[in-house]
Amino acid sequence: MIRVRGLRKEYAGGTLALAGVDLDVGAGEFVALIGPSGAGKSSLLRCLNGLVPATAGEVAVDGRSVTGSAGEDLRRIRARIGFVFQQFNLLRRLSVLDNVLIGRLGHVPVGRSLTGWFPAADVAKAEATLARVELAGLGGRRADTLSGGQQQRVAIARALVQEPRVLLADEPMASLDPALSRTVMEILRRINREDGLTVLASLHVLEMAREYARRVVGLSAGRVVYDGPIEGLTDEAAGRIFGAAERPS
Amino acid sequence: MSGAGRWAGWSAILVVFLWSAWATEVSATRVIEGLPFMLDFLRRMMPPDLSVIGQGVTGAIQTLEIAVVGTGVSALLALPLAFAAARNVAPPWLFYVARSVLNVFRAVDTLVYALFFVAAVGLGPFPGVLAVVAYTATVLAKLYSEAIEAIEPGPVEAVAATGATRLQVLRWGVLPQLAPQFLSFTLYRFETNIRAAAILGFVGAGGIGFYIQTYLRTLNYPAASAVLLVLVALVMLVDFTSSRIRARLV
Repeated sequence: MIRVRGLRKEYAGGTLALAGVDLDVGAGEFVALIGPSGAGKSSLLRCLNGLVPATAGEVAVDGRSVTGSAGEDLRRIRARIGFVFQQFNLLRRLSVLDNVLIGRLGHVPVGRSLTGWFPAADVAKAEATLARVELAGLGGRRADTLSGGQQQRVAIARALVQEPRVLLADEPMASLDPALSRTVMEILRRINREDGLTVLASLHVLEMAREYARRVVGLSAGRVVYDGPIEGLTDEAAGRIFGAAERPS
Repeated sequence: MSGAGRWAGWSAILVVFLWSAWATEVSATRVIEGLPFMLDFLRRMMPPDLSVIGQGVTGAIQTLEIAVVGTGVSALLALPLAFAAARNVAPPWLFYVARSVLNVFRAVDTLVYALFFVAAVGLGPFPGVLAVVAYTATVLAKLYSEAIEAIEPGPVEAVAATGATRLQVLRWGVLPQLAPQFLSFTLYRFETNIRAAAILGFVGAGGIGFYIQTYLRTLNYPAASAVLLVLVALVMLVDFTSSRIRARLV
């Protein structure tokens, strides 16, 4: 489902975020991407949907080349990749329902979407998706009146309503307290199991990865230093990812 | 800044101030000598001649109309200008061109534009509207562009990540962040334009200022003060309403 070969990302300032990453994620997998901050997790996820252009290497999602696409082609690929951000990135002043409907922008006619009058079928999809993340009935509320945990669930609904082939999540619970993190991870796992949706989520808490993922990819200084089942992630391997001094909680 | 530098700075400001006061012939004795004339002027305005209130209201309505049309057209013109003058949206060459144009137009006040447009299209409220637009469109464009530059990039990125087109990103990622601020700036400029439009009549560009100027020139002070009362009422009413709405927006 995701195929990455020799991916390099160097930013304008000369910072090397990704130093040649190879990665394969199969359909229906739930993969945790772990590593210290600055390891390149965000850059890798953003290269996967082309939010950040790769410097070199190849990325393909669902058999379509992201690195070889631009403009309309890239938008079509993106429309099938859901992305959940650490800071939720909702439009605060818009209603919850409008925020979810934004996930349909890649599917509805452009002219129609500009008026704000989404087709009834898309509104129905958005409402059903809100119910899936246990926010039924909150569609009319302004997004910034919701709690942090609820806002992240709105963001997940926005990604799901895209009917994505792949869901990417960039530290989806880093801004939430532990109890809420659990709810968010439970929702991601449920969707992975029920829909067979491929999920690649970066996590900064190793315990979360142990609990929810079967497979872990460890990044350090822009390279994959571990890729395998969670059971194989020994203390020695974790040390290699996070460095001896900086073991996560 | 060092102690010496700060001392030099304050000294320089003091020198400029004193020199300017001398150059503008500031004089306390002349204020005191002028006091009886001021009091006499005020006394002759009393009591206001309420029979001209109707004219005052007619003028006030026209001033309101000038401000409404002028601010409305300005807001429309300011939208594309603002995007051209926003560093995070426009390509550099366009940004510099747009900013320069805005700075040139803003350097001249509404009243000066009014003189120009009265000469160009004749007397009446229409040159007043043009004058309001010339100044306000560029001021609003500057304010809008600063709001555009202060936009949160996260939600914009999130909308782009759904596969949205550039136009859709503007409509759903950018506009919802800007609309309340744009509306607030526009209302604020509308308040200011009521005051600006009130004196446009002094140069023949319509509105309540025409009556004030006419009565002052014919030494009919009671009538002038009655019209002034209407102006004060108009300004207070607009300020009150507009600031109430603005408080709700942000």
